[in-house]
Parts: sequence; structure tokens; C-alpha cells
Amino acid sequence: MLGSFAVLRKQSLLGDAISHAALPGIAIAFLLTGAKESNTLLLGALVSGLIGTFWIRGIITKTHLKSDTALGLILSLFFGFGMLLLTFIQKQPNANQAGLDKYLFGQAATLVESDVWLMAIVTGLCLIVLLLFWKEFKILLFDKDYANTLGFNTKTIDILITSFIVLAIVLGLQTVGVVLMSAMLLAPAAAARQWTNSLSMMVFLAALFGAFSGVFGTAISAAQNNLSTGPVIVIVASVFVMFSFIFSPNRGLLFRQIRFIKNRRDLELHKTLSFMFNIAKTHENISHPHTIKILNNFQGYTKGTLKKLVDKNYVTLNGNMWSLTQEGFETVSNLYNQQLKKDE
Amino acid sequence: MSSAQLEIQLIASLVAIACAIPGTFLVLRKMAMISDAISHSILPGIVVGFFITQDLNSPLLIVLAALTGVITVVLVEQIQKTGLVKEDTAIGLVFPALFSIGVIMIAKNANDVHLDVDAVLLGELAFAPFDRLLISGVDVGPKSLWIIGIILLITIGLLFAFFKELKLSTFDAGLAASLGFSPVAIHYGLMTVSSVTTVGAFDAVGAILVVALMIAPAASAYLLTTDLKKMLFLSMFFGVFSAISGYWVAHWLDASIAGSITTMLGLLFLVVYLFAPSKGLIAVMYREKQQKIEVSLLTFLLHLKNHTEENERHVNHLREHINWQKIRAKTVVDLALKNNMVTIDNHIVSLTKKGDEFTSQAIDYIITNEDAQIEDMKDDFFLFRG
Repeated sequence: MLGSFAVLRKQSLLGDAISHAALPGIAIAFLLTGAKESNTLLLGALVSGLIGTFWIRGIITKTHLKSDTALGLILSLFFGFGMLLLTFIQKQPNANQAGLDKYLFGQAATLVESDVWLMAIVTGLCLIVLLLFWKEFKILLFDKDYANTLGFNTKTIDILITSFIVLAIVLGLQTVGVVLMSAMLLAPAAAARQWTNSLSMMVFLAALFGAFSGVFGTAISAAQNNLSTGPVIVIVASVFVMFSFIFSPNRGLLFRQIRFIKNRRDLELHKTLSFMFNIAKTHENISHPHTIKILNNFQGYTKGTLKKLVDKNYVTLNGNMWSLTQEGFETVSNLYNQQLKKDE
Repeated sequence: MSSAQLEIQLIASLVAIACAIPGTFLVLRKMAMISDAISHSILPGIVVGFFITQDLNSPLLIVLAALTGVITVVLVEQIQKTGLVKEDTAIGLVFPALFSIGVIMIAKNANDVHLDVDAVLLGELAFAPFDRLLISGVDVGPKSLWIIGIILLITIGLLFAFFKELKLSTFDAGLAASLGFSPVAIHYGLMTVSSVTTVGAFDAVGAILVVALMIAPAASAYLLTTDLKKMLFLSMFFGVFSAISGYWVAHWLDASIAGSITTMLGLLFLVVYLFAPSKGLIAVMYREKQQKIEVSLLTFLLHLKNHTEENERHVNHLREHINWQKIRAKTVVDLALKNNMVTIDNHIVSLTKKGDEFTSQAIDYIITNEDAQIEDMKDDFFLFRG
């Protein structure tokens, strides 16, 4: 859901960076409290995710390093630091430490009821905020300067969106793990983008796709043994994306290809027709028959196009001879005129 | 220092150098995230290679993994070419999918063998010296040392052979193409080298560290210099420095070597980020503050020039007229006084000859916006210096 905003803001990889950056937070929270209480750990993850995000911002605005460098940098550095802390924790005499690395790859099966409740609450919160600030988010998304001139505090809204993205990511970590979180954020939104141009539809569809891939993924992973949930969910989501890329009616590859071919056919048809027109023009009777042979040297001509012309009643065939009908003649001359007009 | 320790540091340094070279170009070409994508998506390649050879160190593994890396790049580009999504989204879609396939393949088929996700992602440098390469029974050193050494040699060879082409296509792809170099070939060459380096380094140091070693030194170096050769050397130096210091930190903390090397890289970057002479955070903030004061000074002088009436030029009046805080107004007036731009006589501020000339020139510049004029002013006045 929030992924829609990330995709549209060209911050897709932010999810990846944040999910990695959350790791040291988890480790530090554990080091400080010494307990594996999921709420504290999540809080730690949230804080370090936010630090990571704002550092990325700082790097992009204050130096000439580009966003991709900043993302990659923060991602790997935070993650490495998190690993250092994790291995450091493993050497500590504390029985509680096992299972911290569950956060790395995620395991939906390890979720307990309280976690689910927490997620539900946060999701609800996200929804409410989203509805409350819908207009502001939308304006900020598509025209930041305009939002600024209208007197919205763009910085606050910006921070609000980012914080919610971070929150969503941190929560999702438990389910699908660090590596695959970015796909969970992106895939539904990217799929939804193909079906609609409206933001509200897109957010709705993204939520739907996300939920579906979650359900399907879990079902598949439960049906087979030895299959962790996270990767399966991601693959299901990827399939959704592929499907959307190919079959979406307006932007999809399949329909685009069909349109492309159709346009080309039309063009060839017109070419043949205008060629015929030029021949017919030299005769007094426009329906004067000609042999098909003279068309053979012409590039745009195929049997198929000729048949189509006959179907459209532009041309009549008589044995090896063809002749232009009155209708065909008029169509071509108009076609020619239209083109002339366009050229002007 | 035992020989094992020496070998670990040697491996880490070699990996650092091998990563720094393609990393520099990736950062310059704004493709840093590609290295992250590659490091994740080589997993299925490694898994398939492992199924075929049953050996984690066989060369086939490297070839297959490099191939997967290139496939990733191609996929990303294809998706991007359809125009349906942006490049970063394409990256974000491709690599988790490939990674998931890899994870599932491991989970389904190779659960009981020595190949798990942790090992791929995180690596364990400490064990590297125990995996020795034996040539006809003679111990010639750790395997990963040889692998990364060979990769490094190839990378350096390619770097020297194609330095000109790389440089040109990085900074001006259009010119490179018109001169007859194929930017596409260079692009894929670089991608292949990155993939190979990633693979070669992954079992020594892990995928995440590879990304860190590629990006962090190059980014730090980029903040310090704009010269490509210097940047290459600096990033290599940073890489090696953090590799060795990271090893000792790990030794001292008894923690993961890969993690501590990354942490050292992070600290290094933080220091450079804050203190780099011209592009660091502090320098940038200082400069911004300077410029703010200078602009205020100019506003102040312009105000004086526009108003000849005495009451408009009274010190207290100025403060409320330009609407400045007390401290800021004082800073600006002091600065103007120090540079002999104004004189204060009985609380009335007036421009000196120098200040008057300066202001006229500044107005000229603002109106015409010609660079030639600012060149002259740079010599005379401090305002536009730097």
C-alpha cells in the first residue's frame, strides 16, 4: 500500500536500504535490554531505519553523491555493522540470543498472536493517516513545488510518509525478512501501476495484490514442506508483476505489441491502396481493371492486404485482374488529403 | 601475528582492491545499486553450479554465478526498456525474485549439504585459510587467496587495457560511441567484471561486504577528489586500510570479520563525509553560512546605496527596515566595517568609495549576469571568492 508512494516517488530501493539498515537497531535494542521482546526490537529497528533514511537524505542533498550510491552505501554499511553486533552478541553469554537472525530471512510461521495484533493495529493506523492526509500526499507526490506554494508544510508530510514506509518495512521484516522486504514493498505497487492511472485505484489494487500474494504464498509454502514463506510470497508477487506487465490492457506488452502490429498492417494497407490509386488515376474510368502482376513489385503488397481491401469493398477482384471501386477511390483521395492537411 | 592471520589480512586486502576498481566506475556511472542486485541474484547461479559440481570452489560456480549476474543486468535493462517502470523499481523487482528462487532451490534440494544462505550472504573470512589449495600435494596457500588473486590480476589487466575506453564511456557515452567504442560492450564488460568479483569474493567475505567494499571506498574517494586516477588509488587505499583495521577490530571484539570491516568502512566514510575539505558536510555548511552572510552584506550595501536620506541610514532603523535579528545585523555591519565598505558616523551608516564601487559592480553583475565581470570582482573583493 505504502509501496505505491515509494514507487511513484522513485524511491523504490529505499525499502531495500531501510530493511538492511534496521538490523543494527535490532541488535542494539537487544544489547541494551538483553531480552528478545519483539516490541523493543521493532522499536530499535524503527529508530535505526529512520536514521538510515535521513542519512541517505543528507548524503543526497549535501554532497554530490547520487542517490543510488547513498542507498548502496547506507545499506551495506548498516548491515555490516548489524552483522558485527550480531556476531558480537553471539559470543555473549546470554541464552536469549538465539533466533535473532530470524529477522534476516523472516519466518511467518514464527509469528505469535500478539505480533499479528500489532501488525493489524499499525496497518489500521496507516490507513487512517493515509485517508486523513490523502490530499496532501497526493499533491506532494505529483507536484512538490505546488504543494509548497499552497502552504503545505512539505517537509512534515515528507517525513510522515517516510516514517510510515519505514514502519511498514520494519513490521514486514518479521514475515519475509530483510532481503525480500523490498520486493514486498515494490512488486504489488509496480503491478498495480500497470492497471490504472489513478492514485486511489493504484493504492487499492496494490493492497489487494499484496494481500493475495501473501495468502497464496503462505498457502503454497504450507502445502510443501521445507519451503520458507518469504521467498514463496515474493515469487508469487513477482508472477503478479509479470502477468501485469504482459496483460494489462493499456500499458501491457502484449496489447502494445498487438497495437503495433495492427498499426503496421494499416499502414501497409494504405500503401497498397494509394499505389493502386496512383495507377487508377491515369485512367479515365477509375474502375478500369489491371493485372495483379503489376502489384508484385510493390513492397506493401501481400495477398492478405488485397483480400482485406476486397473485404472492405475498396477493390473488386476479377480473375487475375483488380479494379478500384468508387468507394475505394474516394477513400484513398481523402486519405491523401488528410495527410496533406497534416503536413501543413 | 600467525601465518593464518597474515593470510586473512592478505585476502581481505586483495578483495578490497579487486572490489574498489569496478566499484569506482559503478559509483561514477550511477549504478551502485546494481552491485547490490548482482550480489543477491548470483545465488541461483551458485546453487545450480553447486548441484552440477558438488564443490563450492569450482571455477564453474564462478562462471555460472557471473552469468546470473549478467542476466540480472540484462533483465533489469529489458524491464526498464519497456517503459513500464523506472530503473530502480526494475532493480528492486528482479533481484528479490532471483534471490527467492535461489533460496527455494536450496531449501528444496540442498538442505543437508554445506551450503546455506548465511554462508553466501555473510561469508566467513576466518575460515578462509583452512581451505587450502593443494597442487600435487604441496600446500601453496588458501584457495580463496588464489581465486581472488587471479580475479584481481584479470581486473587490473582489463583496467590497464581499456582505461581510456572506460573513462570515456563513463563520462561521455555519446562521444565514446561516436569515436567507435561500443559503450554497450564496455557496459557489459564492466558488469561481467563486477559479477565475477562479487562471486570470487562472496565466499571469502560475503555478499553484503562485497557491496560495501565496492561502494563505500569509491564514494569516500569521490568526496575527496575529482580526478579518476586519484579516485581509483584512494578507493583502493581506503579498501585496504579498512580491511586490515577491520580485521584487528574483529580480533579484538571477537566478532565477525566481514561485519567489522564494513563498520570500519562506515566510520571512514563518516569521517570523510563530515570533514572532506570541499565537499564534506561541515565544509558545505560553513560555505552555506558564509554565502548567507555575504548575500546579507550585499543586501545591506544595496540598501545604503538606494537611500541617501539620513534617517534611512540610521543604525537602528536599518535593523527594522531589512528585518534582521540583532546579532545578524551586527555581524553584517561589522563585516562591512572591517572591509572598509562603510563608515559609521554618529549612528549614520554611509558607504565609502570602495563600498560604492563594489555595490555598483555587484548590481552590474546581477543585471547582466556575465561571468567576465565576476572574474574581476573575485580579485578585488572577498565576496565571490571560492
